[in-house]
Amino acid sequence: MTEKVIEKNKGLVKADFAFWVGLYMDKFYDGFEQKKIMANKCPECGSVFVPPRKICGKCRIKLPIDENWIELGDKGKLINFTRTAYKVSDRRARKSKSLKDYGMVQIEGSDTAIVYPLIDFEENDLKMGTEVKIQWKENPSGGPSDIEGFVKL
Amino acid sequence: MGRQVAITSAGFSEHASKRSDVSMPELVNEAIEDCLTKVPSVELDDIDAFVNGNMPAFEGSNLPELWMTDWMGARNKPLMRITTGGTTGGSVAIGGYYTVTAELPGIDTVLAVAFEQQSQGDTSVGLASVAYGEISILNSLGISYGQLNRLLSGGAAIGVAAYQATNYMSKSKITEEDLARVVVQNRRNAAKTWWAHLKMPDLTIEDVLDTPYIQYPLRYGMVCPASDGAVAMLFTTEEKAKDMCDIPVYVNGVASVANETAVLGYDGSGSAQVDPSAQIGAMKSAELAYSQAGISFPRKEIDYAEVYAPFPNQELMWDEKLGLFEETTAPEMYETGVTARDGELPVNCSGGVNSTNAIGASAMERPAVAALQIMGKASNQVPKTVHTSIGSGWGGSLNFITLMVMSDEPKRKWK
Amino acid sequence: MDKVGIVGYNQVKLYSDANYGRYEMIFEAVRGALDNAGLKKKDITTVISATNDYYDGRTISNCFTVEVGGGYLADESKVEMDGAHAMLYGLMRILSGNHKLAVVWGGSMPSCYPYHSARLYETDPTWERPNAYVNDVTASGFQMRAYMDKYDIGAEYIANIAVKNRKNAAKNPLALEEAQNSNITVDEVLNSDAYSDPVTELMVAQPCDGVAAVLLAPERQALKITDKPVWISGVGWNQDTYYIGERDLSTCTSMELAAKQAYDMANINDAKNDIDVAELHEAYAHEEMIFTECLGLAEKGEARKLNTSIGGDLPINPSGGAMGGKPPCATGLIRVIEAVKQIRGEAGDYQVDGVNRAVATGQIGMCAQNNIVWVLEGGGE
Ligand SMILES: [Zn+2]
Repeated sequence: MTEKVIEKNKGLVKADFAFWVGLYMDKFYDGFEQKKIMANKCPECGSVFVPPRKICGKCRIKLPIDENWIELGDKGKLINFTRTAYKVSDRRARKSKSLKDYGMVQIEGSDTAIVYPLIDFEENDLKMGTEVKIQWKENPSGGPSDIEGFVKL
Repeated sequence: MGRQVAITSAGFSEHASKRSDVSMPELVNEAIEDCLTKVPSVELDDIDAFVNGNMPAFEGSNLPELWMTDWMGARNKPLMRITTGGTTGGSVAIGGYYTVTAELPGIDTVLAVAFEQQSQGDTSVGLASVAYGEISILNSLGISYGQLNRLLSGGAAIGVAAYQATNYMSKSKITEEDLARVVVQNRRNAAKTWWAHLKMPDLTIEDVLDTPYIQYPLRYGMVCPASDGAVAMLFTTEEKAKDMCDIPVYVNGVASVANETAVLGYDGSGSAQVDPSAQIGAMKSAELAYSQAGISFPRKEIDYAEVYAPFPNQELMWDEKLGLFEETTAPEMYETGVTARDGELPVNCSGGVNSTNAIGASAMERPAVAALQIMGKASNQVPKTVHTSIGSGWGGSLNFITLMVMSDEPKRKWK
Repeated sequence: MDKVGIVGYNQVKLYSDANYGRYEMIFEAVRGALDNAGLKKKDITTVISATNDYYDGRTISNCFTVEVGGGYLADESKVEMDGAHAMLYGLMRILSGNHKLAVVWGGSMPSCYPYHSARLYETDPTWERPNAYVNDVTASGFQMRAYMDKYDIGAEYIANIAVKNRKNAAKNPLALEEAQNSNITVDEVLNSDAYSDPVTELMVAQPCDGVAAVLLAPERQALKITDKPVWISGVGWNQDTYYIGERDLSTCTSMELAAKQAYDMANINDAKNDIDVAELHEAYAHEEMIFTECLGLAEKGEARKLNTSIGGDLPINPSGGAMGGKPPCATGLIRVIEAVKQIRGEAGDYQVDGVNRAVATGQIGMCAQNNIVWVLEGGGE
């Protein structure tokens, strides 16, 4: 049984929420602790999901918890990006003084993309298809913040 | 003008105070799996549309079905979200019925899903906002959440329910033993229901009366638990239902009526109602649903009832308001065994909300169990044959009642 | 499908900071719709509302609106989506034969809550929400870039939509004042502050305070209530996957599927010719182009070539669309109302000539995850 909890959750009302991550995300975050991306693959359509999930949305079949896991590397390519000053996790969603870049990156071997900050990107590096690599936190703790962002390869 | 609708299956997740072993989508998926397992000819892919809901403030997620889409099998399918607080489950079930009866092209089989994972959240925050109306106004007046929480110790659902209980007790002259007897019946029934939460096979009236008061007349041993759980129901057309299961359950009447008032709500919630046990909304719901189903003598025509009641006084009150028993006679029915599993009119053989309360799911678990009793597939199945059953839901602050009338025969007379 | 008519409507004036309470606003909208149809409160048999507990800052946000929304002792329920989705449930209730008059209302007051913060609660709390990198703001940037990149379209075409809608809004007395601008230029839009690049602030439909209501009735009753009923000839609704990293954001699959469902129902084979006007819930300017294509009103990547102004080939959002003010839970319902006005010839300064068939859409979720499409027709017989 897993009791991993995501606690940070500022917002409208100050209330304590603890979100149980469940069986699939637990396995995913266990991978993070070793700086690994654990994905699961649909045996029917072959889609590889990051993060993993119980049902393949396309085939509507169950992906059993003990099967179809694959380990992916930490390289990928930039498939979309944006730049914003909004801090939406802030209670008032204020704008910060500086703009921040976020990238949508498809990890090599997966059919999905994940979104994290782009670190040390120059204006002309912001191009579709740019090869990137995950920058892991020095001491990962098994949570979504273990990935600090993406750096250029 | 609307077509006949049938229920062909219902499924549950396991309920407990803390289902921390699963995430919310996994919990919901458990109920869907259990529901579809009972109808082998139906795959997730065969669902034409989804209706779902929960009570979102209780677990800190707005519109959780958005990120649960794939986990429910609803990707690129029609999906509608219905939420009405405590009655959410009942409202979602009724939404499932309307989605099928509307006869929109290509929409025949509908999966209705209701859920709550209360252990994730801070339920008192959710209830505070019902009991005290505008959170933002209170906050802007400088009342902190800490203070609100203390105010809540005598308020929220328990608070308003206690007023309701004393109102009802003064009219019906019931005793605390009568309340405890309802609890004993429920918790013992829960012990025989696989998915139920508070299972107490050996509970006695004395045990219940031995626990301290939370607020007179309600004792700790009498109130519902807070549960994590999910429920799913499958609605389809009369023709398709016959291929899916042996005994389709026909939905012959539905209603969801409130006599909630805005001004009172703004100032002090339903607790300021003159008599919260009057339940005009419940009686109107019953009148509407029974007339649709062609039921004139509910006491004679209904074989089984699942009545939404977190607190025992409410079960007695709604048994009467929904026309199952004459006013003030419900306690007697529990004493003489009429409402027992092998009685003449069994009530809440699942243990009811009093034993299991995953809020958003609870009001759907009532019609779900009532339907399974007709099919003969309920966990704590009654020995007699059930032809007609009802499942109710309670919500709003005190005065919103959903009701579904089900039968093994499509009796509805079309105009 | 049996004929169901829209027999009355009303929308309150949109404000960025309304000077009155939400209950008064709901009452004004619903009472106004009844007046519009010449009906009384006692005629209501069912009420469907659209509100959101997080937007309203309270659990059971419909709980205290029962009286003002006309729901006291009526059979009522709430759809926690766009108001256009609430109308779907209203339609189902009329089609069931159980009800003869449905009130559908929706609305919200974002002047009372931090809109983006509430939207953040819609993301997966076990994955994206703790860091908040994926949210309604960044998602809009990804969506616009995906569209521009796929068809090699410059931002000026998207700015052009914002210009058209803000100019149209200037002709709509109920639109948000801040959104009305009859002199706005493409450069102004392009040079406004970055929202989420390439989206700029003026390409965004601004959340504002507002409530809207419509009344639905079966054919027989509709013909007695009004001599100008607008008939519902098709509806489709659909939900896409949540993961924006898995969707092709240059299109909108849920909109395409919803449109197909609605068109099949309405027997529309050639949307471009069969539809006279469209009112779309575009949360951002680029969404109007994406939706235009998904609705079959233009080929993929060609929306920019369509003249969608009020006197154009196919007018889109003559009222100003969501760009003219986006009250959460009401915006889609307002699109329906605007389509009804066009069909009934009641759109005043932004009336399009010769409208008999219109589409209206509503949406919720990031990058329009769930869409609903309505096909409406005139011809009261
Ligand atoms: Zn697959």
